[in-house]
Amino acid sequence: MTPSLTIEDLRVSAGGVALVRGVSIRVAPGVPLTIVGETGSGKTLVAEAAMGTLAPELVASGRVVLGDAASEAGDRAARRHLWGRGIAMLPQEPWLALDPTMRVLPQVAQGHRFVRGLSMAEATARAREDLAALGLSGAATRFPHQLSGGMAQRVAVAAARAGGAPLLLADEPTKGLDSDLRSAVVALLRGALLAGGSLLCITHDVAVARALGGEVMVMLDGEVVEHGPAETVLTAPSHAYTRRLLAAEPEAWANDAIPGAGEELLSATSLAAERGGRRLFEALDLAVGAGEWVAVTGPSGCGKTTLGNVLLGLLRPAAGQVRRRAGLARTRYQKLYQDPVATFAPRLDLRTALAEAAALHGVPWSQLAAMLARLRVPDALLDRRPDQVSGGELQRIAIARALLADPVFLFADEPTSRLDPITQQETMAALREVSRERGLAVLLVTHDQAMARKVAGRQIALRAA
Amino acid sequence: MRGLRRIAARGHSPARLMGGTLVGLVVLMAILGPLLVEGSPTRQDLSAVLDPPSADALLGRDHLGRSVLVRLVHAARLSVSLGAATVVAAAVPGILLGLLAAWAGGWTDRVLSGLGDAVLALPGLLLVLLVVALAPGAFWPLFLGLSLAMWVEWFRVTRAASGALLASPAVEAARLLGFGPWHVLRRHVLPEMAPLFGTLAAFGFAGAVLAVGALGFIGIGLRPPTAEWGLMMVELLPHYDEAPLAMLAPALCLFALVLGLQLLAGRDPR
Repeated sequence: MTPSLTIEDLRVSAGGVALVRGVSIRVAPGVPLTIVGETGSGKTLVAEAAMGTLAPELVASGRVVLGDAASEAGDRAARRHLWGRGIAMLPQEPWLALDPTMRVLPQVAQGHRFVRGLSMAEATARAREDLAALGLSGAATRFPHQLSGGMAQRVAVAAARAGGAPLLLADEPTKGLDSDLRSAVVALLRGALLAGGSLLCITHDVAVARALGGEVMVMLDGEVVEHGPAETVLTAPSHAYTRRLLAAEPEAWANDAIPGAGEELLSATSLAAERGGRRLFEALDLAVGAGEWVAVTGPSGCGKTTLGNVLLGLLRPAAGQVRRRAGLARTRYQKLYQDPVATFAPRLDLRTALAEAAALHGVPWSQLAAMLARLRVPDALLDRRPDQVSGGELQRIAIARALLADPVFLFADEPTSRLDPITQQETMAALREVSRERGLAVLLVTHDQAMARKVAGRQIALRAA
Repeated sequence: MRGLRRIAARGHSPARLMGGTLVGLVVLMAILGPLLVEGSPTRQDLSAVLDPPSADALLGRDHLGRSVLVRLVHAARLSVSLGAATVVAAAVPGILLGLLAAWAGGWTDRVLSGLGDAVLALPGLLLVLLVVALAPGAFWPLFLGLSLAMWVEWFRVTRAASGALLASPAVEAARLLGFGPWHVLRRHVLPEMAPLFGTLAAFGFAGAVLAVGALGFIGIGLRPPTAEWGLMMVELLPHYDEAPLAMLAPALCLFALVLGLQLLAGRDPR
């Protein structure tokens, strides 16, 4: 069978620095290829080179064969006429890629009409069929904001495939999704394969690669370190990096739940919260003791973050009450955020930010420096601004900052969901170490069931509101 | 170091560079002009009415024999100082009330916003005219009226922008750590709003200078014999055929200053 996409000896560089070196891939119909790698491994550049959407300052060489059209990788315009017809891209976070002012049916019909060149009536009929095939018949006249995340994902797939492209490119299709939605997306992509298409999927989530099957390619620092059938690569990896990657999956973590709860720090009785007049949860009783880890899980939008904010006193509960232990300053209840960049002043260097927080709490710099060293934050990083350090490093700096207030309770709101698996594992390990040492209680909000099972002594599962 | 880099980054934008040059030249003229060019802007010489440029009066003389150059530089001083004073007088209450409304929320916000909306319901120039009517031809009602018309813009922009900033995770984290309002303002709110303030100041400056010129031109602003660009233009309009430069010079100065300010305000390189 002729492959849908072949890339030979791709090389991408920026200002003389090679970002991707000697990558060759071959995507055949019916066999998905998943490229796994961390941020900066160059996996997205491979997809962009295939599309011809590399940033203008990047220099690319190598050959790209799409169907039976061969062209140079550096020739960005060469494959443009194949967009939608030969190769289609499923955007990251598709609910943002849909036109918010257009109903679902015409949005899908556009591809049939303008890319495939069908008449208006025919295009609408085909779009209706597409939506029916994805179980979306009832949603044809809705606007994107009236769709759930999973439905929006299906509409985006229908819209991307409307032009008739045999090859679908999915860049981080599960980014920001909870596990239920993630399985639904994988099923959706597999459905596209069964319909005779081919698929190139880019992800940092090993679970997606496992669920898709087919072939897996592992990239590190711009090179392919391992390539083979999914079952081989994911069960008997030959490269050390792949082994680390697999070991970093929460499923593979050691069972490290901290059971022992000390004296009670915080208690909530018959708690209820609302958002936009909608009840998120009610009659919730909860007590957290010193050193305890409590995980809160549940689908997106079920009120996990709201619960944490109510416990911290950032939000008023709709009913019930929260009691923090008497005699403890408010600053001893701290919070870690999903996106650490947003929690620092953007134009201020980290050293000044930390020094000011340390001065506020009367912590000498030497003590802070020791903590930063323990969290493996290099001192030189502190002269940068928050957006100039990596997510994992900044999250560890955020941990160090929160510890300045000598907290007894930490609300960790998906603190690692934006990190690569290995960084995620390191960050969690650092947090656990600190917690164990100081008897710090942690309320961990996560959408990762496996992680919740491995680290928390107790779990609260919130239902979809 | 960071300041240097910021200037370098701005230097890359030719529009900003040109705007800065134009504004710089006019401001320089306003500061140094009256010191370098000898003479009084109101001294008449009826034997030299509408004289062409000469060594004595480099831009010629107007219909009352006054040196156009002398009047031009004094008018520049008037416009620049009035513009600057108006911007300050509009910015200070606007920013403070905007921060107060965003911070306090609730009734404070509602009352202040209602006040702002009420002022906005009046056309800006009408408000200026009302105040000017208190003391026609004087400097202070012009300045007061313009500030009264312009503070609302500062108030609304500050309230909206600082509201979003105050709701950000960065401010929440700072509050949780125990930082007070002063720290939040100094580290999180004001640095983020500085570029916005720069833009507002430039537009406000341009608006004030134009308004003074326009009011002078229609005869309800400052009174003759004050040297003011709008007045100069309208006084010399009937003599345009004989002494075109005498009317064009103030028009060009006003144009250069406003264009320069607009270019400065227009595009943020980020």
